[in-house]
Amino acid sequence: MAGLEIISDQGYRIDGRRSSELRKVCARMGVFTQADGSAYIEQGNTKALATVYGPHEVRKGRGKIQHDRAVVNCQFSMATFSTGERKSRPKGDRRSQEMSMHLRQTFEAVIVTELFPRSQIDIYVQILQADGGNYCACVNAATLAVIDAGIPMKDYVCACTAGFIQDSPLLDISYVEESAGAPFLTVAMMPKSEQIVLLEMNSRLHADNMEKVLDLATQGCKDVFAVLDRHVRDHVSESHALMTAS
Amino acid sequence: MSSTLGVLSDAERLFIVHGVQDDLRSDGRACEDYRHVQVETDVVSNTSGSARLRLGNTDILVGVKAEMGEPDPGRPKEGKLEFFVDCSANASPEFEGRGGEELAIEVSNALQRIFNSRSTLDLTALCIIPEGQCWVLYVDVLVLECGGNLFDAVSLAVKAALFNTRIPTVVVTADDEGQQEIELSDDPYDVKRLDVDNVPLIVTLSKIGHRHVVDASWEEELCSLARLTVGVTQKGTIAGLNKEGSGSLDPESIYEMIESGKKVGMVLNSRLKEALEKEENSKREKIGFLG
Amino acid sequence: MLKSKTFVKKTRKGGVLKVVREHYLRDDIWCGSAACGGCPQDRPVLEAEPEIDSTLCGFPHYLIPDTNVVLHQMDVLADSAIRNVIILQTVQQEVRHRSGTTYQRLRDQSNNADKHFYVFTNEHHRETYTEREQGESSNDYNDRVIRVATRWYNKHLQENRKDGDTPKVKVVLLTNDRENREKAQKEGLLAYTVHQYVKALKGNPELVDRLAQVDMGESTDSDIKNEATGRVLFPEHLPLSQLQTGIKSGRYLQGSFMASRENYLEANVLVHGDDSRSIFIQGHAHLNRAVNEDVVAIEMLPEDQWKCPSSMVLQDKDGDEETSEPDLGSPKGRSNAIPSGRVVGVIKRNWRPYCGVLQPSGIKEATRHLFMPAERKIPKIRIETRQAESLQGQRIVVSIDGWPRNSRYPKGHFVRKLGEVGDKDTENEVLLLEHDVPHQPFSQAVLNCLPSTPWGITKEDLACREDLRDIPICSVDPPGCTDIDDALHYVEKPNGNIEVGVHIADVTHFIRPNTALDQEAANRGNTVYLCDKRIDMVPELLSSNICSLRGKEERFAFSCIWEMTKDADIVSTRFCKSVICSKAALTYAEAQMMIDDKNRNDPVTVGLRGLNALAKILKKRRIDAGALTLASIEVRFHVDSETHDPIDLETKELRETNSMVEEFMLLANISVAKKILSDFPSCAMLRRHPQPPPSNYDILIKAGKSKGVDIETDTSKALAVSLDQATIPGHPYFNTLLRIISTRCMMQALYFCSGTLPESDYFHYGLATPIYTHFTSPIRRYSDIIVHRLLAVCINADKSYPDLLDKYKSQALCNNLNFRHKMAQYAGRASVELHTQLFFKNKVTEEEGFVLFVRKNAVQVLIPKFGFEGTIFLKSQDGRGEDSPFVFNEEESSQTAGEVKLRMFDRVVVQITVETSHIQHQKLRIRLVKPQVPGFTVPPVDTSNSAEPPVKKVKT
Repeated sequence: MAGLEIISDQGYRIDGRRSSELRKVCARMGVFTQADGSAYIEQGNTKALATVYGPHEVRKGRGKIQHDRAVVNCQFSMATFSTGERKSRPKGDRRSQEMSMHLRQTFEAVIVTELFPRSQIDIYVQILQADGGNYCACVNAATLAVIDAGIPMKDYVCACTAGFIQDSPLLDISYVEESAGAPFLTVAMMPKSEQIVLLEMNSRLHADNMEKVLDLATQGCKDVFAVLDRHVRDHVSESHALMTAS
Repeated sequence: MSSTLGVLSDAERLFIVHGVQDDLRSDGRACEDYRHVQVETDVVSNTSGSARLRLGNTDILVGVKAEMGEPDPGRPKEGKLEFFVDCSANASPEFEGRGGEELAIEVSNALQRIFNSRSTLDLTALCIIPEGQCWVLYVDVLVLECGGNLFDAVSLAVKAALFNTRIPTVVVTADDEGQQEIELSDDPYDVKRLDVDNVPLIVTLSKIGHRHVVDASWEEELCSLARLTVGVTQKGTIAGLNKEGSGSLDPESIYEMIESGKKVGMVLNSRLKEALEKEENSKREKIGFLG
Repeated sequence: MLKSKTFVKKTRKGGVLKVVREHYLRDDIWCGSAACGGCPQDRPVLEAEPEIDSTLCGFPHYLIPDTNVVLHQMDVLADSAIRNVIILQTVQQEVRHRSGTTYQRLRDQSNNADKHFYVFTNEHHRETYTEREQGESSNDYNDRVIRVATRWYNKHLQENRKDGDTPKVKVVLLTNDRENREKAQKEGLLAYTVHQYVKALKGNPELVDRLAQVDMGESTDSDIKNEATGRVLFPEHLPLSQLQTGIKSGRYLQGSFMASRENYLEANVLVHGDDSRSIFIQGHAHLNRAVNEDVVAIEMLPEDQWKCPSSMVLQDKDGDEETSEPDLGSPKGRSNAIPSGRVVGVIKRNWRPYCGVLQPSGIKEATRHLFMPAERKIPKIRIETRQAESLQGQRIVVSIDGWPRNSRYPKGHFVRKLGEVGDKDTENEVLLLEHDVPHQPFSQAVLNCLPSTPWGITKEDLACREDLRDIPICSVDPPGCTDIDDALHYVEKPNGNIEVGVHIADVTHFIRPNTALDQEAANRGNTVYLCDKRIDMVPELLSSNICSLRGKEERFAFSCIWEMTKDADIVSTRFCKSVICSKAALTYAEAQMMIDDKNRNDPVTVGLRGLNALAKILKKRRIDAGALTLASIEVRFHVDSETHDPIDLETKELRETNSMVEEFMLLANISVAKKILSDFPSCAMLRRHPQPPPSNYDILIKAGKSKGVDIETDTSKALAVSLDQATIPGHPYFNTLLRIISTRCMMQALYFCSGTLPESDYFHYGLATPIYTHFTSPIRRYSDIIVHRLLAVCINADKSYPDLLDKYKSQALCNNLNFRHKMAQYAGRASVELHTQLFFKNKVTEEEGFVLFVRKNAVQVLIPKFGFEGTIFLKSQDGRGEDSPFVFNEEESSQTAGEVKLRMFDRVVVQITVETSHIQHQKLRIRLVKPQVPGFTVPPVDTSNSAEPPVKKVKT
C-alpha cells in the first residue's frame, strides 16, 4: 500500500519531530579505562562509541612517520548487529573504508597535529546501533573522545545531516527518512569558526536548493555543538569535583 | 593470549607469582575469587536480545539476531546458532584491521565447543517448518575492552544475551495442498523465550607458578604459560574442556583445576541467573553506556 | 519525552526484521478549538460554537469518527452539513493505509476551511499517547487510542473554557463498533453509531440516503440489521492470506476482472504478469460477486468443465432475489470451449461511484430500490432511499458498500443527483464521471497559486530571457482556439541559412513544482476536449490568457531555435527561455490564404511560405524513413448558439498548413527528446510507440487480400509503402478505409521514464523516430510540463527538484498520464457519440457507408460523412438467427442473402435513426437500405414526405 508519509500535513515527521528538530542527544565521556580517551554518544537510536589511543609512537609502517606532525589513523566499523538486517562483517567493506578516510580527513583538519611530530593518534569508532546519520554520530563521538584524551584541537567538530524531502529541508534524518530515497547532505563543521570540514551528498539536488539544506545542516551542527559543549563542561566539572573530593 | 597491552618487568612478574603463591593476588583477591561483574541486558534495541557485560576492565557487548533460514540437512528439525566474534580496535590498537581475527576465531571456537552438546539449548524449539525453515540465531560478540579473562566474560555475556532473546511467534498455516505460509504475530508482546538453564559458562583457570587462579587480570595472564578452559553448567556438568598456552600441565593439577572450575562455575551460573532475573523484574531505565 | 516503537516486520525476501523507531511525545500540539482558552494557537480550526440541529445531540459538539466510519461513510462526512470534525492521526494513518482515495477525500475535507475538519496528532501528544498492552489486538488498541483521545478532548475543553459565556462544547465519538461504543459509554463518553447520529439530524433528512449499508460479516456491526432472508447465494471469498499463498503456489491466478459488456453473466480475467492470458468466467456462482476492474484471484476449472462464451447479448432484467440463471446454452462443441475459471476471492476492489438511473419500482413507498448503472459492465446496485419518487428520470450517482453472500445484488448508497436523463449537461457530467475525468472547479488553494492580474512582464523577467519580441513570430491553430501553446518563426540569415524557431508557451514559469496548482495539473494530466466543452488542465487565466501565445501580446515562451540549410538540414539547435510577441494568431485557413496570396510579401507571410517549403522537405524525409500516415475521421459539430444543441456537423479538413505546423512540432519534440535524454539518461520523460505484434495485422492483411491487395507489415516503412500502393480503380475510398483499419492495428503510444526501459524500447513506431517526447503543448498536457522542467534544468534556466530526478516517481507519474490520456480519448469519443445522437434525434437520415468488418451476426459500417461506425445486425441479438436471410461465410468474410453478398469495403446505403426505447442507453440504429434484401432492408425514405427538414448540406 501507500508508503510512509515522511512529513504529515500537520508538519510532523514519522517520529513526531518537526522539520528542524534534532533527535535527542545523550553522551558520555570516559567510558573505558584502558584507552587514552573514549566517548559514547546516542543520537536518537543511532549509537556510537569512540576510543582514542595516543599520541604514541608510530606502530605499523614506519614509512608513515611525519617529521613535522602526528599522523591520524582512523578506523570505522559497525557492529554486525547494528543494522536492521544483520551485516556479515563489521569493517573492511567499501563504505566503511570510505568512512574511515572521511574521519581521518576530518580530524587531521582539526587536531593540532604539529604539536606531536613523529607520532600517531588512533581514533576508532564503532557503530553499535544504526538509525541514520551514522557518520555524524561517529564524528561527534570522536570529538568527545579526542577531548577526553586531552589532545589539543582547534575547535570541536560537529556533524549533522539534512535532507530534502517533499520540497522542504529536514534536519537530522533518521534511517526511515534516509531510505525514502530523497537526497541528503552530511556536514561536519567547526562550529565556532564556522568552517566546514566535510561535506558529502549522496544524490542529485539542485544547486538552488542546496543553500537551504546546507543552512539547516549548519544550524544543526551548531545545535549539536551546544549539546556536546554542555556535556564536556559537565564532565570536566564532575571529574574535578571527584578529584577534589578524594 | 595474544593480547599484549604492555610488557611486564621481571620484578612485576615475580611479585604477581609470589602473591598467587600466598593466595593474595595483586588486586587483593584470593585465587578463586572473581572480580565484580556488571551485566545489563536489552541494550541494543534493534536486536532480538542483547547484553553488555563488564568484568573488571573487560567489556563485552553481545547482540543476538533471530533470522529465518534453512536448517542443516543433517538436523532438519533444529534451528541453528551462529557465533561471530569481533575484537574491535576500540579494545586495542593491535586489533586494527585484521589484527583481532586470530583471537576472535579462538573465542568463537571456544563458544562453539560449549554449545556443541544437544542438551545445551533446545534447538528443536527453533524449528519452524521441518526441513524447510528454522530460526537462525546469530550471536555476535563485540569485544570493546580487554582487561583479562576474555573467554569467561564472553560466555557470561552470551548467556545473558540469550536469556534476553525474544523470538517473534510465528504461525505456520498450510493450505490443503501442503503449501506452507509463515505468518508473524502482529502483537509485539507475542514472543518466545529461550531456556538458557543448561547453557554453560566458561571458567578459565590460569596456571601461575604452582597454583592456578580464576578470572586472571591481564597482568596475571602475562605471567601464565598454561590455561585450562572449562565449560560448566549450572548443575556442575562439564561441557567442553581445552588446554591452552605454551606451557604444560601435569594430570594431577588438571583434576584440581577442573574441580575448582566446577565449583566456581556453578556459583557463577547461579549468580548470573539471579542477577538477570532481578534485572528483568525491576523497572528501571536502561543505562547502557551512559552510566 | 521519548518512547520507542518496536515492531517486527517481514522483509521482501521473506526474512524477519525487528524494527525500532523512535517516537517523540510533544507538549506543543494544540487542540484546534476556538472554544479553548488554554492552547496558544493562532488560527483554531474548530468553531467555538459549533451548530447542528439534532434530536440526539442538542448541544454544541465536535465529532470524532473512528477509522471504519471514515472509510465507509465518507459520503456522509463530505456533506456540507457535517462540520467541526476532529480527525485523529491514528484514524488518518489507518485510512491512508487502507484506501488511497478515501484518504485523499479526507485530506480535501481538512483543506476546506468551511468544513472545520481538524487533524489532531494524537499519537505524538504527551497526554493522548497510549502504549499497546500485552495481549491486545491491534484493533482493540486502535479503538482504545481513539477513546483516550476523545476523553482527553472532553476534559481539555472543559478545563480550558475561554470564558464563562460560551457554551460548553462536548465531543461525540462516532463508531459502528458495538464493543467500542459500549466501552466508551462505560467510560462516560458520548458515543453513537453514524446511523443513529445521522438519523437524528433535524435539518438534513436526505443525508440518511448517503449512509453506506455496511454489513461486513467479520465485524461486530450488529446494529445494522441483517438481510432477512439469510440465504447464501454465493460461495465464500477466501481470506487474503490464503489467496496470496495460493497465488504463490500457482494454484490460483491473480488478474483483473473484466466484465462483459454484452452479457452480465460472463467476464474475462486478464492474468497479471502474462498479458496474453485471459481466463473466461461464466455464471453467477463463478463470477462470485466480482465487479468490473476488481483485482481477483481465480481458480482454473478442470478442462472438461471449460465453457464457451455464448454469443448472446444478455441484460439483467429481473429484479428477483434468486440467482435464477438463464440457460446460457451448454457448449455444443468442446472445440469452442476456452480456458475457464471461477473467482475464489477478491484481492482489491476497484469500486468507484457509478452513474446511472433508478429502476422504476412497482411499490411507491418502498425504500429499497435497484439502481441501474450507465456502464453495462457494472451490476445493478441495491440502495435504500426515501426520495425515490423525486429521483425517477434523474441521473444519480451511487457507491457500492459491499456485496454480502446472501444478496443477489451489491448494496450501495445514494451519493448525489446529477440532473435529468437526456439533458446535455447531465449527460456530459455522466461521461466525465464515467471516464474518471477530474472536472471539479479548481480549488481555492489552486487558484491561490496563480499570478495576480493584471499581469505584466517586469525588468527582472527580461533580464533572464532572450528578447525575441521583434522577430516575426506567428501562430497557426484551428479556429476558435484560445489555448495557443505554440508559435513559429522563419528568418533568413546573412550566411544563407535559415533560422527557424518554435516557441512554446512557458507554462512552467507559472506552475512551480509541488504547489497545489502543480499537483492538480499532474492529477488531471491533460485537458479534455468534449464537443462543446473543454475541461482545462490548468485554470483558465493561464490556459487562455497568460500562457496562451495570443497575437500582439507579450508572452513568455520556451523557444527551440534551429539553424537550417535551405534543404532543411539542421546545422545547430539551441533552446532558450524568451519573451515573444506574436505578430498574428492565424487559423489554418487564414495561413493558407496568406501563403497562396501572391500579392502579400510581409515578413509573416514570407515566413509562412518558407516554413511551408521546409515542412514539405521534412515530411518527405520522415515518410521515406517509414513514418505512417494513418487515417481517422474527425468531426466537428456546429452548435446552435442558444440551445447548444448540435445543428450540423462537418468532418475536419486538413490543409497544408496543418501539416506545416505538425512537422515543426515533431521536429521540436525530437530535438528536445535528444537533449533531455543526453542530460538525464535515467529520468527523461519520453513517449514511445511500440511496434504491434504481427498478429495485430491479421485483420488488415485479410482485408487487403479480399480485394487482392497485398499488405506488407514487417516494418513501418513496408507498411507505409504498401498502403500507398493499395488503390483500387473506381473505389476512391478504399485506401482511406485501409488506413482506418491499420489505425486499429496499432498499439497505444505511451509516456515512460527513460531509466525504466532498455534503449531499444524507446522507439516510436508510428513516427519512425528512435526517440520522441512531448514538448509543444504544456498548456494542455502535463507530460510537456515535466519535459519543460527537464529542459530548463539542461540549459540552467531553472532548478531541479528531487521528484523530477527520481525515475520511479517519474514512472508512476507516466502511468497516471497514460491513464488520463486514454480516458480523455474515450471521453472525447463518448462526447462525439452523444452529440451524434442528439444530432440524429427525431430525424431519419439516409447516408452512404462502407462495410468495414463482417461479423458472424452483423456487419460494421463506416459512414464517412459523419465519421462514425455502426453495426447492422443481420441476425437477432441472441445469435440464433434462424429468421435471418443472411448466411455467414467465415472463409471469405462475407454475408450472403440470395443475390446479395456483403463483403468488406462494399458500398451500402443505410438509414440512421435514434432508438429511444431504452431510457438509459439511447443509441443510433442503423438499418440497411441498399443493396435491397427482401424482408430485411428498409425502404428508402422519401425525403419530400419527411416531416423533418433535410440535413443541411455538409460543407466540404
